[in-house]
Amino acid sequence: MKNLFYIVFTLFGILVVLPLIHTLFGIFFSGDFFPNIQQFNPETFNLLFKSSLIAIATATIATFLGTVLAFLLYKTSLSSVNLLKALLLIPLFISPYILAVAWRDFFYLSFNNTALISSAAGTVLVLINIYSPLSVLIIGSALNNIDTQLEESGLLVTNFPKMVFKIILPLIKPAILSSFALIFIFSISEFSVPAFFGIKVFTTEIFTQFSAFYNHSLAILQSLLLILVCVLLLFTEGRYLAGASFLSMGSKGTKSKIYELGKKRNSVFAFSILYLIISVFIPFVVLFIQSFKYGTEKFIEAFNILLPTFSNSLMLAFWASVFTVLTGFVFAYYSVYKKHSILNKLSNWFLLIIFAIPSIIFGISLIKFYNRPELNFIYSSLAIVVIAYTGKFSFIAFKLIENSMQQIPKSLDEAAQITGIAYSRRIFKILIPLIMPALFAAFILSFIFNLGELAITIMLYPPGMEIMPIKVYTIMANAPQALTSSMTLIVFLISLLIISSFYLIYRKIERKYSPLFKMQ
Amino acid sequence: MQIIQLQNIDFSYSGKAVLEDFNISFEKNSLTCLLGSSACGKTTILRIIAGFEAPQKGSVLIENKKVSAQGKIIIPPHKRNLAYIFQDLALWPHFSVYKNIAFGLQERKAKNIKEKVFEMLDFFNLSEHANKFPHQLSGGQKQLTAIARALVLRPRILLMDEPLNNLDVKLKHKMLEHIIRLKEKFELSILYVSHDHKEAFTLADNVIVLNKGKIEAEGTVADIKNAKNEFVQYFLEY
Repeated sequence: MKNLFYIVFTLFGILVVLPLIHTLFGIFFSGDFFPNIQQFNPETFNLLFKSSLIAIATATIATFLGTVLAFLLYKTSLSSVNLLKALLLIPLFISPYILAVAWRDFFYLSFNNTALISSAAGTVLVLINIYSPLSVLIIGSALNNIDTQLEESGLLVTNFPKMVFKIILPLIKPAILSSFALIFIFSISEFSVPAFFGIKVFTTEIFTQFSAFYNHSLAILQSLLLILVCVLLLFTEGRYLAGASFLSMGSKGTKSKIYELGKKRNSVFAFSILYLIISVFIPFVVLFIQSFKYGTEKFIEAFNILLPTFSNSLMLAFWASVFTVLTGFVFAYYSVYKKHSILNKLSNWFLLIIFAIPSIIFGISLIKFYNRPELNFIYSSLAIVVIAYTGKFSFIAFKLIENSMQQIPKSLDEAAQITGIAYSRRIFKILIPLIMPALFAAFILSFIFNLGELAITIMLYPPGMEIMPIKVYTIMANAPQALTSSMTLIVFLISLLIISSFYLIYRKIERKYSPLFKMQ
Repeated sequence: MQIIQLQNIDFSYSGKAVLEDFNISFEKNSLTCLLGSSACGKTTILRIIAGFEAPQKGSVLIENKKVSAQGKIIIPPHKRNLAYIFQDLALWPHFSVYKNIAFGLQERKAKNIKEKVFEMLDFFNLSEHANKFPHQLSGGQKQLTAIARALVLRPRILLMDEPLNNLDVKLKHKMLEHIIRLKEKFELSILYVSHDHKEAFTLADNVIVLNKGKIEAEGTVADIKNAKNEFVQYFLEY
């Protein structure tokens, strides 16, 4: 068993971390550094500034919305709160380009004009739609963890609004800042939305330099600039983000204070529903209307175009999720049971950095490393995409599994140890069954993210392979709007179908396992 | 005869010394209670004896065999012929009562497993709960399941780390009587950790009072009650 752990560590180091280090740091020793750095001009920095402004606007508004919604969903007696929470998260799990298509269609239908949405402001709107749920998740988790007594002692000395501003908000400040930092990083790294709207930003510039002008060294140098911005933010918020308590199954539950809404119940419920209509139902309905505007013909055509991509995409997402969960499990095991090893601390940071750096840059580093004759068997196959997905999303699996492992009392393992149960048997018979809901949740999330990942896939997919998001993206540029909408609607429906089926299975697993934890 | 000896033990957690040059021994077939307030080192002593922790210096002997010495575990926990009742009981939540008790036997490929498990279930009046999961049991039933799981492997030594903490007074008294009977029936040497002197005085043949990793007093219940030591007198007041 220990050998398996070391194999996973070594493979992750060689296949994922080494290419990143090799490409990003190799540029300094290649002789390309000085000639290319001179190509940095005011336009380069203007684009970085523009990307930063889009990211700041997105992060500010999404975090503000997230804070308000999180408070309503996690701290008030709002009705149907669990359903609302589940529905609200949908945009986070849908590939960003789907929402971009939906919003373009909405503007086309409503104003017969897409110029308004095909702009920096439109990009911000779509990104807010995607990332507000992430903010709800982060801030909701922090609100859930506030000690009830702190709020109650606050209420003894002041009124409710002042208590919220003076007690609750300062207590959740780390979560608010982390939400801002994470959404900023994701927004500045986003490629598919600005690319779809035809907005030139820093990521699209890197992509152009790499894929259109084949100026790899300049693309890598520009990437380094973007990584620098992301890593600087990561370091300021790193401690909270590395903990990622929002990626927790929370099977033990918390006793957070819930506030009665009283007369405001209906208006607060209406506000939440309005938000849901705007963020989830409008995109879906608009895609539906556009798809069937001329009958079912375009929808059927879209289905036939996408049909050959289903098996490849599902298989790819499945295997990448298996490897992601395996990697997440091994890293989580070391993090919980070998807390003080340097390997553990380093790997924790590597997982976070790979998760946070723009997909485009990660993709470039893998291409630069694997594009050589001796590694062509990886470069020219789907293996490179599986490696990329595993590297990118292992942080999520790692954190979900780690948080779940931390909830299991060490004494359960020790009780087995003293009974004479072998090491590997303890892992398979005691530990794995107890963290099963987290393992499955990690699998679901990885699967959904893998299925919708565009930026990495577009850079790495081997020629001749048909993959769902690539097919949609390549056809988008020239196809009639109804066909694009139909294809997007199909991907949207498939994603929803997978999310809901997995969710139902997850509920079954959780129902089976969660009562077991009430004993302790 | 001494069944457990800790000789010149040094132990620290993250650089903070818990035990320094610590010596203690326990008599065979006796029920010894380690009494002390929180963080005095009593659980650490149990964990060192069990083999979950290795002392940085000194040796641990069980039945005159060296089991740990100088930072090394010589004999692993499961080969020390002892059982441990954890403070949180550590019942495996995904196993039924039957499986919790049988699991160790199954892994050791013992014979007549069903018979041995039901003997325990009968002894502890748990037969009708055999198929229940831990979360479906009452506090007392959980306690008994944990003890049954420990004793089914027929250990010579039973280490108990404040196992009755979460029980109400009435149930606690019932369990204390149970523990006294167990010692006789299974010919056990029991080492019982507690911060409650009333519990210790009800149970113990011998009591050892600890404070900040040092022994303040040891002897029979009567010896401790009459001890002149300032700390012991203060501790017994509450």
